[in-house]
Amino acid sequence: MVSFKTKGTFFRLYSWLPIIVLIVSVLNEFDFNYLELKYFSFNFPFILIFFFTLKDSKHFDYLLVFLAGLINDTVVGLPLGISSLSYMLLCIATSYFRNITIRPNPIKDWFYFFFIISLINSINYSILTLFFSFNLILMDYLVNTFFTFLFYIIFVSIFKYYLKGLND
Amino acid sequence: MASSRDDFIIAIRSAFLKKSTKQKFSLLTLVFISMFIILLSSLDFKVIRYLKIGINELVYRSAFVVSIPENFIKNTFFEVKDYTTYFREFKKNKDELNKLKSKNISSEIIQFENKELKELINDYVSTSDKILAKIIVDQDSPFLKSIIINKGSKDNIKIGTNIYDQSYLVGRVIEVNYKTARVLLLSDLNSNVPVSIAPQNIQAIITGSGDKHGQIKYIKSGIENKFNEKSIVYTSGTGAIFKSGIPIGILKFDNNETSGKFYVEFYSDFSQLKYVFAEVIIKTEVDKDTSETSQNENENENENENKNPIEAKLKILEDEIKIIEDTNIKFKEENDNLRTYINSLNSKIYNLDNKIISQKEEISKFNLDTEEMEFLQMNLYYGHKCRRSFFNTKGFSTGTPEYKKCVLNKGRKN
Repeated sequence: MVSFKTKGTFFRLYSWLPIIVLIVSVLNEFDFNYLELKYFSFNFPFILIFFFTLKDSKHFDYLLVFLAGLINDTVVGLPLGISSLSYMLLCIATSYFRNITIRPNPIKDWFYFFFIISLINSINYSILTLFFSFNLILMDYLVNTFFTFLFYIIFVSIFKYYLKGLND
Repeated sequence: MASSRDDFIIAIRSAFLKKSTKQKFSLLTLVFISMFIILLSSLDFKVIRYLKIGINELVYRSAFVVSIPENFIKNTFFEVKDYTTYFREFKKNKDELNKLKSKNISSEIIQFENKELKELINDYVSTSDKILAKIIVDQDSPFLKSIIINKGSKDNIKIGTNIYDQSYLVGRVIEVNYKTARVLLLSDLNSNVPVSIAPQNIQAIITGSGDKHGQIKYIKSGIENKFNEKSIVYTSGTGAIFKSGIPIGILKFDNNETSGKFYVEFYSDFSQLKYVFAEVIIKTEVDKDTSETSQNENENENENENKNPIEAKLKILEDEIKIIEDTNIKFKEENDNLRTYINSLNSKIYNLDNKIISQKEEISKFNLDTEEMEFLQMNLYYGHKCRRSFFNTKGFSTGTPEYKKCVLNKGRKN
């Protein structure tokens, strides 16, 4: 496990790691789509943003999350601002959840995450189909939401190690 | 009850407005900015367009650099997969190549004729130049099927430019930047292509399914019965979005569907694209002989009006003659080849005949030798019985045919 004796450049880089991973993942679309599994896709940025805005919001700059959203729109080919809005709504949801939570519970976080991503994906789908006349398959969105929900718990266990290293 | 509502309002207000020391903007501000950007991006202002092009260029290049490690792993995986099927494919391709070579000559003639006729209809010559483009970003999103190529407005790419994988249609350009462009693949749900289905000659529209295949839409009900699995789908050119006659795929019957639905299997595998061809079309007006028109300035207008169709007809006839001459030359060449082949075969036959005669002679000689040997052998045993002597007056003198017959009859005189 990583531990830092002095808070130097490496520590700063380490503390910026989630945001770097976020930028790389939106540029690279880290989602294993090339495996060509018909009913499989997940949204890694959602998991990352939800976890770190909930657990470590001071190292997770909202402005950079916003910019990551713009990059994602450019790469995927969505109208500019759609992903930024989704990410910001996710940040608002986690901020609210952080404020009302007294005793954190991973299972509660997990189901709250499911509720929030379902809501955000619904908003996303509605904007794209109603305002931009995009033809989209609802099933793909449902599959994406479901697998993002499932993968959350796996990634959280990895992220926790990272946070432990940061706090120690 | 009132206090819980207050708590909710406080939590919401805090979530929206409160920003910690490290945050530069509150979430509410960023939400409003996002909405503002969405609104702006839907409006087609020149400034926004240029800003968008700038962002696109920057992001596409960054995405290409960032994707290098993942692409390396992905490509290695596909290469290993490909090696296992290479030999089988090689054999299949060899057979196909031989068939295609034979068809090539006739298709060249048809293409030439087609070009000339199109020229006549449109009054302009469309010279197309296919430029090779590299795919720099191919994210294979589950929602939108598009790729980004490294050619843009600098290379004369325009919105609507047709994109090919070899000679198969892949999609069309929907967004052009200075050095990059986004291509909407045929498999995308938003892609609609007017097509003809051969040999039934049925017009339809192919839309993407978001998957590997396309769906046939907007055809008369009941017409599906005419389709078979060998039907070829190619662009009809209706609407002038796509050029006509570009192969797209073949019809396949979906066994899982109880309604007996057909789908289009694309010739090109969009997940395996590395390089594509962008067809840049340059339209130039058909040259009208200016010198001739200046000479005929004094002639009346009716003559001028009639001149162009006559010239065009003459041009077609000239072209037809040219085609016929070309084919004649090809036939002559073929005839010469056949003649030399026949001559060589005739000489071979002559040689073989000679060989057969000499062999026959040898066989007959061998047969004679064998008969002689037999006679000599028998002569040793029965010669005294057939030879004429003092004691054998009924015998024959040696060397006569009767003597020989007698010896061969084992000494019996009759």
